[in-house]
Amino acid sequence: MSEHTLSHTDEFKAGRALGLDHRKLGMWLFIASEVMFFGGLIATFLHYKYQLGFPEIASLDVFQVGLNTLILLTSSLTVVEALSAIRHGRGGRMAIFLLLTILLGVAFLSGQAYEFYKLYEEGITLTSGVFGSAFFTLTGFHGLHVLIGVVWAIVVLARGLRGAYTAEQNMGVEVFGLYWHFVDIVWIILFTIIYLIP
Amino acid sequence: MQEPATPSTKRSPRYAAIFLVLIALTLIELWVATAGLAGGWLSLILLSLAFGKAALVAAYYMHLHGDSRLYTTIFVLPVLLLVVFVLLSVVI
Repeated sequence: MSEHTLSHTDEFKAGRALGLDHRKLGMWLFIASEVMFFGGLIATFLHYKYQLGFPEIASLDVFQVGLNTLILLTSSLTVVEALSAIRHGRGGRMAIFLLLTILLGVAFLSGQAYEFYKLYEEGITLTSGVFGSAFFTLTGFHGLHVLIGVVWAIVVLARGLRGAYTAEQNMGVEVFGLYWHFVDIVWIILFTIIYLIP
Repeated sequence: MQEPATPSTKRSPRYAAIFLVLIALTLIELWVATAGLAGGWLSLILLSLAFGKAALVAAYYMHLHGDSRLYTTIFVLPVLLLVVFVLLSVVI
């Protein structure tokens, strides 16, 4: 077996073929697939928005959702601060920031649930028309991603409290962070195309 | 399988400063959306602000700035396809 083959085998076993961490590369590939997933939903929403006009948009509370947007942006800060903390070997600080992330995620979901409740009261539902179907599918799938992120954050926090992460070994936190920031980016785009653009 | 994480940043980003920029851009978005501009210009400005915010999060919070170019390529290519999808969905 050549020296090159041995070296490549060692890299592969270490999870770093291509010189990149497999878990991080896998997360980026997953994010690429998620871009296409949300891309289909966004394209559908915009197609019908420009075809039908969607007068129901007047029922949306831009400022309440704007507050929710600020909450999600804040959660991105707490996630990146958690990663920064563990990279400096400060596990306690990481745990605090992860806990804040969980609370902010729950706050976002609560805001979204309240928004959905108000729209249902006004008769705008998943089956009330094209707007309802497109809106609830798009924002609902995003909310599902936030919910998954909250559960993931709880798992990362639990592992962190058991000492699973150190200043040298924290890929679990970084990969979770990539997912959470992507969900934030999706909301940045959704907020603009659903709530702000006429 | 544990291994060292990749800090992979050319310089230490100021996360709080970037956060303040993101908040400011969001407030500007809300102001612009209610300022009564014409539809075309309004859409262009709002989309520019949104993509600017998304780029800041990707570059600094997701550490694409200074990380392997392969990650950037993996992320940007489907985004370009998404833009094509969206343009087709609006035009057709």
